[in-house]
Amino acid sequence: MTKPTRIDLPDEPASGVLGDLRDVITDVSNSRGLVYQLTLRDIRVRYKQAVMGFAWAILSPLLIVGAGTILRVAMLRMSGQQFAAIDAGSIAMKGVIWGFFASALSLGTTALSGNPNLISKVYFPREVLPLSVVLACAFDACVGAGAVALALPLLSWRPTWALLWLPVLALVLFTFTLAIVLAVSCANLFYRDVRYLVQVLVSFGIFFVPVFYTPEMLGARWIGPQMANPLATILEGARLSIMEGRNLLLPITRASDGVVLWNPMYLLVSAGTAVTLLAISAVVFRRAQFRFAEYV
Amino acid sequence: MSAGTPYIAFDGVWKKFRRGEVHTSLRDLLPALTRNALKGGFLRRDLSTNEFWALRDVSFAVEPGQTLGIIGNNGAGKSTILKILTRILRPNRGRYAVKGRVGALLEIAAGFHQDLTGRENVFLQGAIMGMGRQELKRKLDAIVAFSGVELFIDSPVKAYSSGMNARLGFAIAAHLDPDVLIIDEALSVGDYAFQRKAFGRIRTLAKSGIPVVVVSHQLDRISELCTDVLLLANGETVAYGSPSDVIAAYMRGDGNTAPKSAVPSPVTFDEAVLVGSPSVRSGSRIRLRLGGRVVAPLTEHIEPIGIVVRSAQTGETVFETGASMLQIPLDLGDFQVEIEMQMNVQPGIYLIDVDVWDRATEEQFIEGPRLTVRVVEGDTFLGGTNLNARLVLAERTATIPA
Repeated sequence: MTKPTRIDLPDEPASGVLGDLRDVITDVSNSRGLVYQLTLRDIRVRYKQAVMGFAWAILSPLLIVGAGTILRVAMLRMSGQQFAAIDAGSIAMKGVIWGFFASALSLGTTALSGNPNLISKVYFPREVLPLSVVLACAFDACVGAGAVALALPLLSWRPTWALLWLPVLALVLFTFTLAIVLAVSCANLFYRDVRYLVQVLVSFGIFFVPVFYTPEMLGARWIGPQMANPLATILEGARLSIMEGRNLLLPITRASDGVVLWNPMYLLVSAGTAVTLLAISAVVFRRAQFRFAEYV
Repeated sequence: MSAGTPYIAFDGVWKKFRRGEVHTSLRDLLPALTRNALKGGFLRRDLSTNEFWALRDVSFAVEPGQTLGIIGNNGAGKSTILKILTRILRPNRGRYAVKGRVGALLEIAAGFHQDLTGRENVFLQGAIMGMGRQELKRKLDAIVAFSGVELFIDSPVKAYSSGMNARLGFAIAAHLDPDVLIIDEALSVGDYAFQRKAFGRIRTLAKSGIPVVVVSHQLDRISELCTDVLLLANGETVAYGSPSDVIAAYMRGDGNTAPKSAVPSPVTFDEAVLVGSPSVRSGSRIRLRLGGRVVAPLTEHIEPIGIVVRSAQTGETVFETGASMLQIPLDLGDFQVEIEMQMNVQPGIYLIDVDVWDRATEEQFIEGPRLTVRVVEGDTFLGGTNLNARLVLAERTATIPA
């Protein structure tokens, strides 16, 4: 009987926050193929029955339009105004944005805890699971956006150059959503009741962001505080640029009393918030992932 | 060792687990946080009450040309080692390294999605194992052919039998060209024919000179594949060395932690040997010589020499006999007996356990000596039962003109 041979391995240098971030980026970019396959899996499973798949992508914006229209009509009647068809278009467009966030959040919460087989039995960078869920939801959102784009011209909407803001807003939205989903999926693995909190948030969250209303409707001095939420900025930015053809680089004031409706800083701060949150989420996620297999 | 050489190494690795339920909820979080803060934080390295060490100070190194087998009873820590090597778990202390592209034949169908077709799952599972899309496209035909599920490759996996599932999973894993290989015994997949095919593939990979770690309960496979064997018990290294030495140590019960009966045994053994070679052909006879002493009067319900033959691969009892069935006359004092058995069994390693037990209570007085026999393929028959085929007629009934 002999002693096992032993190789003295060097201590791994403790990686700092920046090192962790670099690791996340390298690992995820090395796993592009896996991200693609997992996203494809989610999309395929959903669109396997084509009708159901497209219904899935369009149903939730459609419901949001319905709910929003009823709400708007009621509000306008109270104040004695008329409902314009274009308002329904605006709500539909914002419904796609909220629908993306809400479905990514509710599906993403169980991205880790719903795949115990993968987590406890195979290694791959765990970030790819929530990431592919968000990507698959982005695909749904594109289908929804396509449907809205087909409907808008019927509501006497015409495209403008301000449409170029769409990719910018989409990028901020994606970053922010991914940050939240990474954090929540990780939290739900350790604390299984996070899922129920998220459900409540997804059900009622729509009332806390300007989908059915515009920020100014709550009063001029509440515009700023609302815009601290990146989602509100994205929704309002999308309405101003896509629906009204405004340039988001310029401040926008209300003609009647000069109240500031939009400040370019809102977008800058939101983008900054989204990126910071994503960095924090990614580092926390990375540091927690070695305990995933024991908790899943 | 040069810089690019692949290797697998464990250097003083410790890993602890918690017993019982680990899921907590936010509702439990606040009280738990306060408790932990009072106790001094989360990162303590010692054990709290419901934790245990699954691995204690385990070290080994596997270099090209070496195949390390890890054996031990259930719960010894074998799977924990595999999970650390595949980066699923991280040790609490110590360091480990796996250098090179890792091929892990562990959970070969873990990534399958039931609603996707076999073909789609090949790409999904392949990506999970680290294969690129182009690589998979290139190997797809070979994978499908190896798995033998060609006809069903475009049907959803949920329509597959569990054997087909495992075969497809194995086929994918087997086509990864790894620099180092980590294998779990879960590879006894599919039917007998596929198992042989799968084992053949593993043997080819293992003998190709790359560093390999294998975990198995099938001792004959370990002895066939490995250059080194490590025996674990309760997370600790009990023995390390050549397959024959370590397997012998395991059979002696070195990895055994089961408590023995406290009642003194009426019979003790001081000799237990196989007369002749410990390796025989299927169908031939072995002779077992036992010597010992009867130290207390034997009552009717005591079995003074119980003999159990079990397969080392499956643990299944293939044969059982004893002094009472063989009508061995025993009385107070020394004895020596020789028992012959015909090994009409499938090739493999068999354990012969001798013990003394109480037929009334089924309680074992002592676990006596244990012997090991290796049965190799015989020349008179194949399979597990000798039906004693005999030639009774042989004549030419017609001839073909030249």
